[in-house]
Amino acid sequence: MKEEIRNLIEDALPLVDLDSDFLFTDLDSLGITSIMMILSEHYDIPLEHKDATPRNFKNLESLAQMVQKKLEEKG
Amino acid sequence: MTILDHVFASAQKFPDKPAIIHHGQEITYSRLYLMMKECRPLPIPLLGEGWDKTFCLHTTGTTGQAKDVLVSQQAVIANSENLIKAQGFSSDTVFVLAGALDHLGCWSKIFPVLMCGGTLIVLDGLKDMDAFLSAFDYPSSHLATFLVPAAIRMLLRFDAGRLARYADRIEFLETGAAAISQADMQQLCTILPNTRLYNTYASTETGILCTYNFNDGECIPGCVGRPMHHSRVFITPEGQIACQGPMLMSGYRGDEASTCRVLREGTFYTADNGRIDEHGRLHILGRRDDVINVGGYKVAPTDVENAALTFPSVADCICVPVEHPITGKALKLLVVPAEGVEYSPKPLALFLKSCLQPYQVPLFYQQVERIERTPNGKLNRRFYAGK
Repeated sequence: MKEEIRNLIEDALPLVDLDSDFLFTDLDSLGITSIMMILSEHYDIPLEHKDATPRNFKNLESLAQMVQKKLEEKG
Repeated sequence: MTILDHVFASAQKFPDKPAIIHHGQEITYSRLYLMMKECRPLPIPLLGEGWDKTFCLHTTGTTGQAKDVLVSQQAVIANSENLIKAQGFSSDTVFVLAGALDHLGCWSKIFPVLMCGGTLIVLDGLKDMDAFLSAFDYPSSHLATFLVPAAIRMLLRFDAGRLARYADRIEFLETGAAAISQADMQQLCTILPNTRLYNTYASTETGILCTYNFNDGECIPGCVGRPMHHSRVFITPEGQIACQGPMLMSGYRGDEASTCRVLREGTFYTADNGRIDEHGRLHILGRRDDVINVGGYKVAPTDVENAALTFPSVADCICVPVEHPITGKALKLLVVPAEGVEYSPKPLALFLKSCLQPYQVPLFYQQVERIERTPNGKLNRRFYAGK
């Protein structure tokens, strides 16, 4: 899933450094929202701005964990 | 009267009332007046030499070229009076400022609030949308804010339910700087049925000209309402929007030629086409030039192209607008790579990031074999329009 997310985000936001451990700091509000939109639409999961935390947006790994959790909640 | 005089008047009426709340710290009107008088730093930008002198704002809006716009005290006060009368700012108003404070949309709200004796809640941008929405927990039913259409789209996409919970507290909300879609206008009217929802026509050079409460049952897209108290707006025979009034800029700093191109004998000629309907309401019909509006920021494609052409692996390029679900428009750079040089979009994007403003850096890149040009060799922007 991590690589799939990497490819999805790289296609839409080529400037984002997905090897960073400080994604939340690196991104602006548009970048965060764009990633939420990409993940929400691709995986058909509900995301809200309260999900856009520094913890969830720490790095690629934490994004994948957030998606996995949302998929499990969705059942 | 200067802005300082107005704040002094508010400090006399409301000495202990919070004028500015920033990071949970309150600055009362009496303290604010002293800080301004002594030119001490505030959590909002001065953008000028002081509170009794001319302000200087940076813009690319009307001409598409980066310029410093000189805005007099008289213009700031005229703009504020326009907003106070047209949108109903009062001493009860609690205005949440979350956008860029060097952008007219938010910056222009500082002064009417302080002139009325209202309260400003200043946030560090919209990156933390949770913090933005939490600002509406402030104990008041006279909350207000300004959001560019892209931020409204973000809110409606991810937090419409939470926004709706503040429906009885948000007295008015203003948008502007870019076109808002009718779907977003209608959704806002549905979830904030009792809130005044303004679409405003303004620019750094013209000041605040017209405003339209689209929560009026008609919800007309592209309509920005009637001219405000100090503004006079008319359409030239060529369809161009022109305006007059004390809220206009004084000129571009150190650039008389550019000033004369747009400001002649007290009339400012905008870069927009428009029409005025039978009720005196202005409708925006689009821009007259190649400037691309990215979420409220105006980008001259030539600035992006000129920067890209200095990168070794770029032989030719053109910057074009493409549709974007949040910002409405985004930038795409079509690139013809230089012969014998390895081309990759990421180093180019990083280079552009190092020499342009963040909003000027294209989001998308596409390698092409050639760039279409007109017979006289100019970039054929019309060829790429709508592609």
